[in-house]
Amino acid sequence: MFRNVLIILIFITLAFTLGCENHYYDARLKMEVQQLDSDLENRWSTSGVVVSAITSNGPADKAELSSGELISYVIGEYPVQNPREFKRAVKRAMADDNNMLLYLKGKQPLRIAIRKLGDKVGLEVEGSGSVRIKEITPGTPAANSNAIQVGDVVEKIVDERKIYSLNDYKKSVNEFAELNAYLTFRTTELIGVKIAAVSALGNLGDARAVESLIEILKNSNELALRKAAARSLERLVALSELNPLFQQFQQEDVNQLPADTLDSQHSESAEILGLLLVDRVANTATLEVPFGIQFRHRSKALYQKVNEGSLVKLAEQYIQIATEPEQEIRRTCLSILGTLKPISAIEPLVKVLRDNNEIPGIRFQAGLALSQIGTPAVDALIAAFNEADTAAKDIAASALGTIGGIQTRDFLINALETTDDPAIQLTLVDAIAKIGDESALSALERQRQRFQEDDSAIRIFLDEVFSRLTTHSQ
Amino acid sequence: MKKIFLIFPLVLFIVGCGNQNEHLAKGKELIKSDKRRKEERAVREFKLAIEQESDNAEAHYLLGFYDSQEFYETDQPDWNQASIAQRGQHMFKAYQEDSGEYLEILIFDTLRDDDVNVQNAALEALTLVYQQGDRKQLLKQLQKAIKSKDNRDRHDAHWVMANIGKSDPTTMVPILIELLKHNQVGTRLNAVKALGEIGNENAIPVLAALIESGSAKRKRDREEPEVRQLAVAALGKIGGKAVPELVKITQNKGSSLRVDAIRALSTLGDEKAVQPLLDALKEKSSREVVVELSN
Repeated sequence: MFRNVLIILIFITLAFTLGCENHYYDARLKMEVQQLDSDLENRWSTSGVVVSAITSNGPADKAELSSGELISYVIGEYPVQNPREFKRAVKRAMADDNNMLLYLKGKQPLRIAIRKLGDKVGLEVEGSGSVRIKEITPGTPAANSNAIQVGDVVEKIVDERKIYSLNDYKKSVNEFAELNAYLTFRTTELIGVKIAAVSALGNLGDARAVESLIEILKNSNELALRKAAARSLERLVALSELNPLFQQFQQEDVNQLPADTLDSQHSESAEILGLLLVDRVANTATLEVPFGIQFRHRSKALYQKVNEGSLVKLAEQYIQIATEPEQEIRRTCLSILGTLKPISAIEPLVKVLRDNNEIPGIRFQAGLALSQIGTPAVDALIAAFNEADTAAKDIAASALGTIGGIQTRDFLINALETTDDPAIQLTLVDAIAKIGDESALSALERQRQRFQEDDSAIRIFLDEVFSRLTTHSQ
Repeated sequence: MKKIFLIFPLVLFIVGCGNQNEHLAKGKELIKSDKRRKEERAVREFKLAIEQESDNAEAHYLLGFYDSQEFYETDQPDWNQASIAQRGQHMFKAYQEDSGEYLEILIFDTLRDDDVNVQNAALEALTLVYQQGDRKQLLKQLQKAIKSKDNRDRHDAHWVMANIGKSDPTTMVPILIELLKHNQVGTRLNAVKALGEIGNENAIPVLAALIESGSAKRKRDREEPEVRQLAVAALGKIGGKAVPELVKITQNKGSSLRVDAIRALSTLGDEKAVQPLLDALKEKSSREVVVELSN
C-alpha cells in the first residue's frame, strides 16, 4: 500500500516537473524546441512547438530547419512488408486522430478516416516483402473511397500527428525514429504575426517595406496575408502622395506651419490618416505626435520608392483577372493605379474595362482609375466606347464625362445624337450633364426636343437633369 | 443615570433637526420626488442652502452632484458656475467640511454615477484633495478601491490614479508598481492600465518583466494572459523608450504577444520597428521539412 502511494507520488512529481519544463533539447536532431507561450494556442488557435535553437551541422541544421519555425505536425511512415505489419501500422496511425494516409503504388495518396477508434478500416492484405490488397469489406471507409482495388500494392502508411505539447513532440519523434532513418516536420505559418507585421509596415510608411510587400503579394500562398500586403501597399501609396506636404515641414525643419500655406486637399488627407492636426481658427497645422513627426523624415524616401516603377508594374499586372483570382486584391491594385495615375496603366486598365469575364464593379473601378488619369486616357476611352460591348461603352462614357474637356464633350454629344441604345443614352446624358457647359446643355436641350412626345426613361431622366440644373443655378 | 443616556441622544436629535437647513431639506425632497425638472429646482434650493449656511457639507456636495450647464443659458453667470471644475470645487468643499465622510463617498459612490459629468466632477474634487487635502488618506482609500472585490471600484480607482499620476508620476508610479504584486488579477489589470495611461518610462522594466513571465517555467510565476496583453498595450502607450522592449517581444517567436507588440509599434511610428518587422516576414513556414536521422 505504502509503496503504491510512493509510486503515485513519484509519478505526480515527475509529471509535474515535465509539465513545467518549457524547453527541450532534442539530442537526436540537435536542436532545442520550446513550448508555445501558454495562451498562444487559445488566442491564435495554433499549436505545436517552436524551434528555438539549432546546433550547427546537426540533423536539424542540415535539413535547413530554421529557428522560429512552428512545428505543428510530426509526420512518420510505417513500412509495410507483411499483413501483420500492415495491421499494426493501421492501428498505430489511426490512434489519436482517427485518420491515416494510405500510399498505393501508382495512385494518389488516400486519406482514410474512421469515425471512432476501433472502427474497421475494411482492408485485408496478403503477401510478404510487399503486400497487396486482398479484400475490401463493403460499407467500410476503404470501400467508400472507391479508389482502392483488390490487387493494389501498398507502399506505405503515413501518420501525421498534430503536436500540442513538448511531450507530444518527444513521443512522436521517438516512435518514428525507430521505424525509419528520417521523419518529416510540417511547420505552420503563424499567420497572425505576419498579417500584423504587414499591416504595421503599411502604417509605418517606410520605403524598405515596399519590396517585401510586393514579394508577399506575388509569392505567398496565404490569401489573408496577400490581401493584407495589398492593403498596406495601398496605404503606402496614399502616404507617398502626401510627400509634397511633408516636404514643406521637412524643409523648414518644423512640426507646425500656418494651415493656409498648405495644399488643402493634402492636409485634409493627412488629417484623415491621423498625421496632421489642423486648427482652422488658429490657422495652424501641426504634425501629430509621434507618427506625423516621425514620418516627415521618411516621406521622401517612400515617395521615391513608390514612384520608382516596380509597384506600378505590379499593380498593372494584378488588376487582371487572369493573374489575380482574388477580387479584393484586384480592386486594391486598381485603387493604387488610380492614385499614382501612370500613363503606362491606360492600356491594362482599358483591358480590365473591356473584360467580359470581369465583374461589373471592378470594370467600373477601372473606368474610375482611367478618369483619374484624366486627359491622357481620353483617346483610349473613346476607342473603347467605339469598339466594345454595352457595359464597356457605359463605363467609358461615364469616365469621359468625369474627365471632361472640349474633345470629350463633342465626342459624347455626337455619340448621344447617333446612338439608339437607351441604356447608353442615359449614361451619355449623365456624362454630358456632368461637363455641364453651354454646348453640353444645348445638346441636352436638343435631345429633350427629340424625345418630346415620348415618356421614355431618357425623357424622364432629361427632365430630371434639367430640374437639377435649374435648382443648382438658383 | 440611565435617563441621561436617553436624554442625550434626544437632545442631539432635536438640535440636529433644528440645524437642518430648510432649503437643503427641500432640495433633497425634490430629488426624491417625481416632479418635473426636479434636479434643476433642487439645485436652486441647494444654492440657497449654501447662501444660508456656507459651510454645509451636504449642500455643497449635492450642488456639485446635481448642478448642470444644461439648466442655464450660456450668457448666465450660473452657466459658468455649473462647469465641471466648479462642481468639483463644491464636492471638494464638502470634503473640507467633513473629510471622513466625503472622501469615501467620492471614491466609492460618486465615481460610480452613470453621468460622465458627475464622474469628472468627482475626479476634479479628488485631484483637489490630492493637491490640498489629506493626500495620504486619499492614496489609502484609492488603494483600497483598486483592491476591492468589485470591478467598478477597481476601474474607478485606476482612472483616478492614472489622472493624478499624469501630473505627479513620481508618487503614483511606484504605488502602482507595488500593486502589480497584488494577488487579485483585477487589481493587477487595473494597475497595468493606469501605468499605461500615465505613460511614464519608469514603468517599462516592470511591465517588461511581467510580459516575459508568460514563458516562465513554473505556472505560478506566469502572469495571466490578459494582464500581459494589457502590459504590451501599456508599453505602446508609453512609447519612446518602450520601443526596444516592444521590438524584443516581436522577436520572441514563442510569444503569444507578438501580434499585440506589433500593433503597438505600428501606431508609434518608430523607425526601429521596421527592420524587426521585415525580419518577421522572412520567417520560413508552412512547409514540410524532411530530417535525416543519424542513428
